[in-house]
Amino acid sequence: MRKVALRGLRARPLRTALTALAVVLGVAMIAGTYIFTDTINRSFADVFSQANSGTDVAIVAEKVDEDFFSDPPPLDERLVARVRAVDGVASVSGAVFASVSIRKRDGDRVASESFVSSLQPAPFEQFRFVEGRAPAGADEIGLDRATFDDEGYALGDKVKIVGEQGAKRYELVGAATFGDVSSPAGIPVAIATLPTAQALSGREGRLDGISVAADQGVKPALLRGRVRGALSGEPVAVRTGSEDAAAQAADLEEDFGFIRTALLVFGGIALFVGAFVIYNTFSITVAQRTRELALLRMIGATRRQVLRSVVLEAAVIGVIASLLGLLGGLALVPALRGLLGAIGAELPSTASVIAPRTIVVALLVGVVVTVVASLVPALRATRIAPIAALREGLTAAPKAGRARLAIAGLLCVSGAIVVAIGLLGDASAGTAAATLGGGSVAVFLGVALFSPQLVRPIASVVGAPMQRLAGISGRLARENATRNPARTAVTAAALMVGVALVVFVTIFAAGLRGSIDRAVDRAFAGDLTVGAKSGFGETPPAVAGAVRAIDGVAAVSSVRFTEGRVASETETTSVVGFDPKSISRTYKLRWKEGSDATLARLGDDGILSDTGYSKTARIGDRVTLLTPAGKRVTYVIRGLLDEGSEFGLLGGGLVIPNDRLAADFDATDDAFVFLRYAPGADGAQVRAAIDRTLAASFPDARTRDREQVKEQQAGQINQLLYLIYALLALSLIVSLFGIVNTLALSIFERTRELGLLRAVGMSRRQVKRIVRLEAVITSLIGALLGLALGVLFALAISRPLEQDGFRLTFPVGTLVALVVCAALAGMLASLWPARRAARLDVLRALAYE
Amino acid sequence: MLHPMTAPTIVSTTDLHRRYGEGPAAVDALAGVSVDIARGAFTAIMGASGSGKSTLMHLMAGLDKPTAGSVRLDGAEIAGLDDKHLTELRRDRVGFVFQAFNLLPVLTAEENLVLPLTIAGRKPDAAWLESLIDAVGLGDRRTHRPSELSGGQQQRVAVARALVSRPAVVFADEPTGNLDSNASAEVLVLLRRAVDEFEQTVVMVTHDASAAAYADRLIVLADGRVAHDGPAGGADDILDVMKAIGP
Repeated sequence: MRKVALRGLRARPLRTALTALAVVLGVAMIAGTYIFTDTINRSFADVFSQANSGTDVAIVAEKVDEDFFSDPPPLDERLVARVRAVDGVASVSGAVFASVSIRKRDGDRVASESFVSSLQPAPFEQFRFVEGRAPAGADEIGLDRATFDDEGYALGDKVKIVGEQGAKRYELVGAATFGDVSSPAGIPVAIATLPTAQALSGREGRLDGISVAADQGVKPALLRGRVRGALSGEPVAVRTGSEDAAAQAADLEEDFGFIRTALLVFGGIALFVGAFVIYNTFSITVAQRTRELALLRMIGATRRQVLRSVVLEAAVIGVIASLLGLLGGLALVPALRGLLGAIGAELPSTASVIAPRTIVVALLVGVVVTVVASLVPALRATRIAPIAALREGLTAAPKAGRARLAIAGLLCVSGAIVVAIGLLGDASAGTAAATLGGGSVAVFLGVALFSPQLVRPIASVVGAPMQRLAGISGRLARENATRNPARTAVTAAALMVGVALVVFVTIFAAGLRGSIDRAVDRAFAGDLTVGAKSGFGETPPAVAGAVRAIDGVAAVSSVRFTEGRVASETETTSVVGFDPKSISRTYKLRWKEGSDATLARLGDDGILSDTGYSKTARIGDRVTLLTPAGKRVTYVIRGLLDEGSEFGLLGGGLVIPNDRLAADFDATDDAFVFLRYAPGADGAQVRAAIDRTLAASFPDARTRDREQVKEQQAGQINQLLYLIYALLALSLIVSLFGIVNTLALSIFERTRELGLLRAVGMSRRQVKRIVRLEAVITSLIGALLGLALGVLFALAISRPLEQDGFRLTFPVGTLVALVVCAALAGMLASLWPARRAARLDVLRALAYE
Repeated sequence: MLHPMTAPTIVSTTDLHRRYGEGPAAVDALAGVSVDIARGAFTAIMGASGSGKSTLMHLMAGLDKPTAGSVRLDGAEIAGLDDKHLTELRRDRVGFVFQAFNLLPVLTAEENLVLPLTIAGRKPDAAWLESLIDAVGLGDRRTHRPSELSGGQQQRVAVARALVSRPAVVFADEPTGNLDSNASAEVLVLLRRAVDEFEQTVVMVTHDASAAAYADRLIVLADGRVAHDGPAGGADDILDVMKAIGP
């Protein structure tokens, strides 16, 4: 039996390959994700180890609460002296490593992330100058070798770097390698003396870390204990050098965990679709091999042997798919990197890391998915009666049993309930997402099981115009598509999944854009905003100051974002910082209780609470917060806002004056600066003046008017949307393979019929047209089902969000375009099968048994 | 009725060869066959398995290309035609009946019947269609699908289809091979009527002497060559001829 299965696979290599391909792409995505994230983690881990190679004990600022997103405030310089006094310390060095924007010669950023690193004495310093010398003066810097070479700098150049105080030029005096490599994980680093680095990054009197070397014979672990003792009570983490490197690597891995999970989810979707294709392929091949399998049963094979034979085939295909998927994963890595780079997350490129775990997961996933998908057809194979070996003709299409419809209904209903629970329940984001995912899978399966009932009606609607346009070819295409509704339905269902998801995110994004547009229109009272060019970053407070000084600017109001931990809440609370004196002149606050007059009465500890934070908060309530700076502060709510959570620029949490943010949260950078022109001023001229100032001193900031703010928000949503499209494209490609597969197999099945048509005078072109139209009908069925499901999902998710101002909008043009694309994709999928059908040797086809 | 041996020819082959494979393993299915098929006659081609009878028919119908020799059908040399022209030939000037699987399961009997015309984009002449359906006796089953017809009924639909475009010649490959004697008789009578009433030319390959007895002329092939070419008598005469030629 084993021989039968394996020979069968080998005898039809093309079919085996096509079937395997369904799963290869999904495995490739998963393998690629692991390889990609492992590689990044490894290259950073190497950097961290290298950085700490001379350090026995490392002291860094500790996050006050591990759920906080923002970095803790830098260390006080005075700690260095206390550490030096500890017994066993040979040398101590404080260092700065902060984000600054290094510019190219033409003024653009060198990379999306770049840093300044302060020089340290031996044994701590890892940068080795191979050209020129280390910087010594206040206006001198060195660069990492890679950036030096890539950007074509020369010693003596004046390099522009933008830090907390704006843009400044520094003289380039040297180029250095980081250990043995030309840059730390491909990240550009400027090297400066400690005072220069502190000034550049706004860390006067502060440090990012303190490194300690131990005396001869003193173990790092021992020294760590002593230093801890000396610094007890300070918000610091004291670790040995290697522990610190490991901790940094672990933190980074956790931060990347989100990206990894997201990518894995898309890989999972591709595998889910692949499972449909495998199920279909095996269903068809089992039906086609009825006589062969019946013969085996007739000569004595047991049901279990037949089952094992089919499952073995599936397992072999799974293994092939996994191995190919691993290779595919390697090939996908640069694509993943490019995709993430396109939305601004540039990541280093180093040699790929293929962990044993990746290989095991790839094999497991490929084999398990293929085997599970083949189980139902395999069971069907066992039910073939031995007498079928003697019967002529193909088995008729199985009718939809009551049981099948009942299961379909059950899946749909239970899936919908689970989705509802996920949407309306209170669980954390992770659990909610998992619940939504599980519910959606159930709904997809239910619809797929039910879809054969819909094939005939949809096919007649779609096929009617085809018949009119393409005559007999159209008619036959429609008949063929409806001949075995279950088979057509499953093929279409594979496409349905991808289309439904694309439709859903498209509608959702359109609604999001609409809501944001409305929110901006409602709240924007000023004339301009100034914010980071990329839209993601922050601007130093000096920007607001510079803008305020310009002639023709009447009101300037900054907005900041940070976070805090309220003891009773499971998640951190978002905090929005604002300037009570100027906000109402540039932003229309929406009050639930209170008015703009409240702003003057906030006093030292007054704050506002938004409905996004709590619907039951009352004026006079006291709120105690732990801030990222480690302070525990209590505020009094003096006003209630009704901005809504994600769509109002100010909404979502507690709204606290900026001076408190600076004092208690150590948050001084602005997310937005709103401004208003003075009455009578020429707007265009004032803006030009602001633009000039920014270009000169703060090239990372730019002005935006209301329409541009909307565009920028829309742009961010669109970017994310295209990223999701690109990731879903994989699933769509898999479903197209499914169409190719089904067509090829059904052509094989209809060889005699096609031979007959050719014998009776049908031209090759007409035959090709039949195949093509069949593919179009199948993909249109899938697209229409997907459209319906996608709309339903969008409707479902918009209910709970409606109170936050989310309104559903249907981008009809885009949706129609999607359906048309699906039809075109079906045509594309039919190219090769159509050629095969047309190339059939008439004679051989007629003699075909 | 014209005598088949002297009537004008509708299909003729000249020194037809068909070889399969190469070198020492090559098989000569036809090793020089020259026949003339008379217009308006019913010709039967017989022979043992491997004699080349099916191959000869395939070549005459344009379904296959000869290795050497020529084939003229209705005045045109068809051996060198490209696929497009051969297809048109099959659609408009040749009718086919096979042993089995003649009909498309998804079309009704009537739709199957007019299939060659539909493919050509032409509408059948209503009177002609009615007389055909009448002639094959399928008036009350015209809207039924093949799965609802008996084997004999399916073959009759196939014959009607072969006749619908009034081809130059109808080729029938073992048309009664899968049928019982009653159904066989129905189909053969139909083919005979096609020749007698509709003035068609029919070429039938068969291994059944009683089927060949319906024909006007008998050609027998053996080992890729013509072994007998003469008027077809009754079933007994035909059996004698076959015996004389040997196994």
